[in-house]
Amino acid sequence: MATTGLYSQHLNNRKVLYLRNAVIALVLILFAAATLFPIVYMILSAFGPNVSTAGNMRTIFPSRWTLESFQAFFDFSPHSLRWIWNSFVVAAGTVVGNVLFASMAGYAFAKIRFKGSSTLFGVILVAMMIPYQVTQVPLYILMVQKFSMTNTYAAMILPSLCTAYNIFLCKQFFAGLPTPLIESAKIEGCNQFQIFVKIVLPLGKTVLAVMAINTFMSSWNNFFWPFLVTNDPAMYTIQVGLKQFKFANETLFAPMMAGATISALPMFIMFFSLQKYFMEGVTIGAVKG
Amino acid sequence: MNETKVRQLKNGRKLRFTNEDLWGYIFIAAAMIIFCVFTLYPVFNAIYTSFLEYKPFGSEFVGLQNYVDTLKYSKFNLFYKAALNTLVYTAVVVPLSLLISFTVAVMILPFSKKTQSVFKAVYYLPGVASGVALSVVWLWLYDSSPDGLFNQLLGFFGIPAQNWLSSTKTAMLSLMIMALLSSHGTQIITYIAALLGIDNSYFEAAELDGATFFQKVRFIVWPLVKPTTLFLMVTGVIGSFQVFMNAYMMTGGGPDNATTMIGLLIYNNAFEYGKYGLACAQAILLTIVIAIMSLFQFRLMGVDVEY
Amino acid sequence: MKKIIALLLACVMVLGLFAGCGSSQEPEETQAQSGNQETAGAQGDDSGDAPEEDTIVVMAPPVTGNYLASLKVWAEDFKKEYPHLTVEVIETSWGDHSDKLSTMAQAGEAPDIAEISSGALGTYVEMGVAIDISQYMSAERLADYDANALSYMSLEGTVYGLPLYLTIQSIGANKTLMEELGIDVAKIQQEGWTYEEFLDVIKLGTTDERFGFVFANAGVTASDMLNIFGAGCGLSNNFTEDLKYTFTSDNMLTLLSAIEEMTQSGYMPNYGVEAGQRMVMCQTGNAMIFGKAMPLFENNFRTNNAALDANDGTAVENSLKMDYAFLPVPTMMGCEESCYGTVDGLIAMRNKNTTDEHLENVLLFMDYICSGERIASCMNELYLDPVCQSGRDALTLEEGRDPDNLETAARCIAMVEAPPAGVTAEMTATAKKLMDEQIVPKFQLLLAGEATAQEVYDHICEAAYAAFGEENCVSGKIG
Repeated sequence: MATTGLYSQHLNNRKVLYLRNAVIALVLILFAAATLFPIVYMILSAFGPNVSTAGNMRTIFPSRWTLESFQAFFDFSPHSLRWIWNSFVVAAGTVVGNVLFASMAGYAFAKIRFKGSSTLFGVILVAMMIPYQVTQVPLYILMVQKFSMTNTYAAMILPSLCTAYNIFLCKQFFAGLPTPLIESAKIEGCNQFQIFVKIVLPLGKTVLAVMAINTFMSSWNNFFWPFLVTNDPAMYTIQVGLKQFKFANETLFAPMMAGATISALPMFIMFFSLQKYFMEGVTIGAVKG
Repeated sequence: MNETKVRQLKNGRKLRFTNEDLWGYIFIAAAMIIFCVFTLYPVFNAIYTSFLEYKPFGSEFVGLQNYVDTLKYSKFNLFYKAALNTLVYTAVVVPLSLLISFTVAVMILPFSKKTQSVFKAVYYLPGVASGVALSVVWLWLYDSSPDGLFNQLLGFFGIPAQNWLSSTKTAMLSLMIMALLSSHGTQIITYIAALLGIDNSYFEAAELDGATFFQKVRFIVWPLVKPTTLFLMVTGVIGSFQVFMNAYMMTGGGPDNATTMIGLLIYNNAFEYGKYGLACAQAILLTIVIAIMSLFQFRLMGVDVEY
Repeated sequence: MKKIIALLLACVMVLGLFAGCGSSQEPEETQAQSGNQETAGAQGDDSGDAPEEDTIVVMAPPVTGNYLASLKVWAEDFKKEYPHLTVEVIETSWGDHSDKLSTMAQAGEAPDIAEISSGALGTYVEMGVAIDISQYMSAERLADYDANALSYMSLEGTVYGLPLYLTIQSIGANKTLMEELGIDVAKIQQEGWTYEEFLDVIKLGTTDERFGFVFANAGVTASDMLNIFGAGCGLSNNFTEDLKYTFTSDNMLTLLSAIEEMTQSGYMPNYGVEAGQRMVMCQTGNAMIFGKAMPLFENNFRTNNAALDANDGTAVENSLKMDYAFLPVPTMMGCEESCYGTVDGLIAMRNKNTTDEHLENVLLFMDYICSGERIASCMNELYLDPVCQSGRDALTLEEGRDPDNLETAARCIAMVEAPPAGVTAEMTATAKKLMDEQIVPKFQLLLAGEATAQEVYDHICEAAYAAFGEENCVSGKIG
């Protein structure tokens, strides 16, 4: 496996090896604890009593363990489960679009020398720098007025079907692929499409997995755009739905946390099912030889 | 635009496009169409709007007035204060979070696959929780009363309770800590993906030369993950310059505008005060600054000369 | 086992992806078709002899827990009365309603009717999307609404919308504890109190375990403290009757000095308190008086007392049984007693479909939901008095409400001073920006003990002079 060579394997002294790993593990665990705290708190309060306002949640463990907050979440709206499904459809659609289109474009910008490529890439980068607060009004006019897409999955998916961020990510990774490998494939008669499918995609599994999970996550957590283009509660995504738990003078705190916990579940599943790809890594050497 | 070029090529054959050009355009066609419709069109629209006193029914062309209003210096013009805040926030958060992510990614490597996957999941988790739920938790962590969790922690070390988000001394720091502890998941797994791509033969060779661990990191790992670092840095700076949600949810820009960021200012002008043209002008100015910073980063990292 | 689970998960993911892909593209086409049908249908129905079909779009957040559900019922009832009018309800969430409305308005796609708080009216008037409603409804119907509340929905004499309710914001207290300490709560509720009396009371209520007073003032909620205590100090409005800006008056300095005194007295926390905690601190016995408070909170205390009696674990953790008293805000400088109030209402908005006939239909529905038993049921939920005669006539009070609180609330509502006529949209917009960008931020410094009242006051004056011109700002004392 790649990269294991970074750490010395020749330590004969097992004690030193263990000590080293123990120190590293301790640092990692401390950092992990700090990182995890908010989400652990979220999950724990979801299993607590069905209270509003968070003000009295000063203890980490709930005063008693119950599923009533989950019950309250599902009772709150007849569409609760539909919200999760909607989020899933939107996120999955966005992931498929990005994996397909951004990887192709990323490869082209990284390895194909075509006229205007650097200009086009520069334009893509600059467009990414404009804050979304000012582009969402024209985008809203486009989707709602021109395309009449209110309350559709398309309206939620299309604007992020192929993001500049992912094109940039793919370009950076594919630029690291050995050019001689691609050149030799060309000499053997492969066209660019064959090269992309047979060489680039297999080698790029890792980055595709990273892209898939990051895209899925950002789409899943996206709130404002779905909120803008959906008027029908049946078309809400889970993030839009969760906001319904906040009222003028109170927040249905525990049901909201229960909803947030449930909505985090698909992310866990997504993460662990793609985990494999982060583990294997890409051994370019193997392909070369 | 690109499609027409391709079509011309098929029909006429008189254009000077090579086979390689053709493939390039085919590969980017879908991405560019999506990009033009859903990104470029709104961007140009925003640029146009920045020259207007925008009203939904009957805008007025005002030339550079919005830019002048934004840049005109006055004690009460928040633009410069917000710019400085954003700059400070970016200068602290982006390099530190890159450093943390890189260190964690490297430190995970000596462990077994199983342990690695547990750590990766743990670091990635905060990203999966909804921002709304998390901000509630963070507000509670930063509770300024002596019962607040962070204050209890400080009390344990004998440090007096702090007025976290309500004091100018600590408000910005609090937002930085929050950013550093809750937004590194993406960066860590991106780095791990890059690290896994490094061929073992490099290390074997270095090992034979008797290189130490730190030498290996310095001379093999760091240069090889440079494209990733560049990517994370550029996107990190962009994200940080646009940062808005944390300040909006946690402090609303206070106290004494100590946490007012440009993103928050643009948001307020566009949606609170209905000055959409002014907001667009500020956004364009922000974009120019980010673009210059990014160019600087590309130069600094000294890679990507090829494109 | 693990492998099977992993396999299953992978299958689910793959299936989901395909399903997602399929259904994501499907609606695109179907929507486009149905969109065409809709417009075709609307045009086709025009030929009938009955009044033209019309669709009214109303957008609102849950102003009360049941509001959105009720709105749909009312829409159906309305349809029975006016079969040619269909009402479409867009539900929004509380915290994000104004963002969505703002975006839609900027895009020229605003709903026909939208809920706003009166403070935001100026922004929409400036934007050119608010509509003068008096042309589209009868003067007789308009007269049903209290002039006081209507003036919140007006600028320079033009009425842009109808009021839903007038919320009064003041302070609330643990009545049980105050009475135990021998404080005459009823007298305060009936006659009001001065700042000096207030200070004595919170001093009396303070122990090692308990603050006499707590006010949620962290972040943007700092403005609540200025507004609420300002009402007792002649600063109910941003402008005087002769349209001069009030926050530069001596009253402001007195107010700031009083708040400085309070924060440093030890009778209230000298750190920022989050909005969610103030009532909890009162309920757990860690504070005696709290703010901001509304009459509605009586309901929270009653529910909590019931939960404590039932011991079913739904009560606030570590809370005590207590009665709630809604209190008037103390007065300063000998100013007349007053109360801070804001109006939330519905406004008519311009969009592509706007025609005169359409607006008449829109106003018909707007008036329908703002009056009569519809508004009465909302006000019962909010523990507020309706601001229209038909609403008051339809109101039947829920059982078991505390008569003293009811009376105090009614007394306070009557004291609320509406903004003076003649204030322009531009003036309110400037005042809003000044408040958000200059006054509240500096006031936050005062609360954190990082600036003195005088410093904050000087900054406010300087900023206000720059914004309005010194001649348009009050100097000296008001009231």
